[in-house]
Amino acid sequence: MADLLVAEELEKVYGEGEAATYALKGVSFTLEQGEFASIIGQSGSGKSTLLNMIGLLDTPTSGQVLFDGENTTALGRKGRARVRNEGLGFVFQFHYLLPEFSVWENLTMPAQIAGRAITADAKRRALDTLALLGLDGLENKNANQLSGGQKQRVAIGRALMNRPKLILADEPTGNLDTANTAVVYELFRTINKELGTTFLIVTHDRKVAQQTDRILEVLDGELVQDVRNDYAR
Amino acid sequence: MLSFRIAARFLKSSPGQSALIIAGIAVGIATQIFVGSLITSLQDDLIDSAVGSSPHITLTAADDDATVSGELAAAAAKDEPLISTAVPVRTLSAIFSSGEDSVPLSITGADAAGLDTIYKLSDRLVSGAYRLGEGEALVGAIFADKYGVAEGDTLELLLPSGSIAELEVSGVFDLGQATANERVVFIDAGSAAEALGLADDEYTAVQIQLSDVFASAEVAERLASDNDVEATEWQAENEQLLSGLSAQSGSSTMIQAFVLIAVALGIASTLAISAVQKTRQIGILKAIGMGDAAAGRIFLWQAALLGAGGTLGGIALGYGLIALFGLVPVPFSIRPEPSFIALSAAIGMTVALLSSVIPARSTSRLDPIEVIQNG
Repeated sequence: MADLLVAEELEKVYGEGEAATYALKGVSFTLEQGEFASIIGQSGSGKSTLLNMIGLLDTPTSGQVLFDGENTTALGRKGRARVRNEGLGFVFQFHYLLPEFSVWENLTMPAQIAGRAITADAKRRALDTLALLGLDGLENKNANQLSGGQKQRVAIGRALMNRPKLILADEPTGNLDTANTAVVYELFRTINKELGTTFLIVTHDRKVAQQTDRILEVLDGELVQDVRNDYAR
Repeated sequence: MLSFRIAARFLKSSPGQSALIIAGIAVGIATQIFVGSLITSLQDDLIDSAVGSSPHITLTAADDDATVSGELAAAAAKDEPLISTAVPVRTLSAIFSSGEDSVPLSITGADAAGLDTIYKLSDRLVSGAYRLGEGEALVGAIFADKYGVAEGDTLELLLPSGSIAELEVSGVFDLGQATANERVVFIDAGSAAEALGLADDEYTAVQIQLSDVFASAEVAERLASDNDVEATEWQAENEQLLSGLSAQSGSSTMIQAFVLIAVALGIASTLAISAVQKTRQIGILKAIGMGDAAAGRIFLWQAALLGAGGTLGGIALGYGLIALFGLVPVPFSIRPEPSFIALSAAIGMTVALLSSVIPARSTSRLDPIEVIQNG
C-alpha cells in the first residue's frame, strides 16, 4: 500500500524561552492508504493537537506533513483549505452542522465549497450515503430537527461527500450513547471496507481504540507506542 | 454564489434582527430623501420667487448716457447657450400723482411677447388682459389697489422730460413681490421710445434670463467683456438670499451626513454582532475547505442584501413622507428629483458595503482551529 500520510518530526510549541510548552515533541509516523487506525492518549496528551496538524487546521512549529505526496507544510491558507476540502473529511466530537441549513444542504456543503455542481451522480452518491447512514427521508429536515445521533451521522455523511482519502475523527462518539457509538463505529468500518477510505480516529477510550487495526499512543506530546491490533475485525 | 446563499440564509435565520436593521436603513434613507428633497424644493421655490420673474442679467451701455442696440440681445442669445431669453427694453422713471401723494414709478417698455418671456405677465394677471398696444400700460396689484386704478382707467405720468404721458391701463398683474407690485409699470416699446426720445433701434438695456440661474456671474462677465457693455446680475444684488440658501444647504448636508453615519454605525454594529454569532458556522465552513475570501464575502453579501432592502424600503418610505407632506396646507410642494433619489440609493448601498468591511475582514482572518478548539 502506498503512503497516504507522512508526519515527520512534528513539533508544536506554545510560548517562548522558559515559558515554552511543548504540546508535541517530534512525532513521526506514516499512514498507508486504506488503514483503519486510532490515536489514543489521555486528555492533554497532545493527540488532538496532532490530529489538527494532520488535518491542516493547525500548523506545526517544526516538522512537516506530507499528504498524498504533497508537502502541506509549504502551503498557504488557500492551499490548505483546498486540501481540507478535497482530500480530508472531518468528524468532531461536536457535530458542527450548520443549523440554518437542511440535512441535504449540510451534506452537500463540501461539494458546494469546491464549486462542483450537484450532478445526477453526486446526487445518487449523497442519497446512497444517507441510506448508508440510516438517514433516508430526512434530507429536507432542518439540521436542528434531528437527534444527537442523527446529527453526528449527518456530520459523518458530510465528511464522506467529497470521497476524501482520509477521514480524521476526533472523539467522534464522545457525545453519543452506547447504542449510537456502536452504530457510528460500525459505519466507519463499513465505509473503510467498502470505499477503501483511510480512517484516523482520536480517542481516549482504549475499548474504542481496540476496534481499530492500528493503535498509536501519545503521551506528553510523544508517540510512545505504534502497534498493530490483530484482534480488531 | 455560495457566499451569497449562505448570507441570505444567515439573514433569514434571524428575521427579527434582519428586519430591524433593514428598518433602520430605510428610516435613514427616507430621512435623507425627505430632508434633501424638502430643502432642494424649498430653495427652488425661493429662487423662483426671487428671480423667476425678473431678469437674471441686465446689459446696459458702458457709458451712462449711451444706449444699446436691439441686435445686442440677438447676439448675446446666439453666443451664450445658457441664455433662455434676451429682450431689449427701454426703462425710465416717472412720477404718478394722486391727490397729495406722489409716487415714483419704474417703467419698462418693450415688446409684449418679449416681456412675457421674462416676467410671465400673462400668467400673473389679476384683472384685465395681457395687451400692450400703443399707449397702454400694465400696473401692479398693490398700486392699483392703493390708488384705485382699474382696467380702462387713464394714468397720467410725469416724465423726466417734464412732459405728461397719458396711458390707458389694460391689465393689473401680481409678480409676487410687494415693491414690484407697487412701483413697476410695463408699457409698449414705442411709447417708451417716445418718452425717452430714442430712435427705433435704441434701447436702454437688454434683460436676460438663463436656464441656470447660478451661472449668472460667469455669463455676465463674458457678456460684458465680449460686447463692451456693463452687465449686472442678480446674485450680486441678492447676497443675503444667497448666504441664506448656502446656510440652508450646509445644514441640510450636515443632517443627511449624520443620518448616514448613524445608518453606517447601525449596519456595522449589527454585522459585527452577526459575525460573532456566526463564528462557529464560519469556522466549520473553513474547516471543511471554504477559503478566506469566500468567507469574507458572506458578510459583504449580507451588507448588500440589508443595504438593498433598506434602500428600497427607504425610497418607498421617503415618497410616502413626501406624499404625506403634500396633505399639509402649505403654499409649497416637495418635488423629489430622480437623480437625487438615485444618489441616495447609491449612498445607501455604499454605506452598507463599507460597514461590512470590518466584519468581513475579521471573518476572513478567522482561523478554523479557534472554533474547533473552543467548541
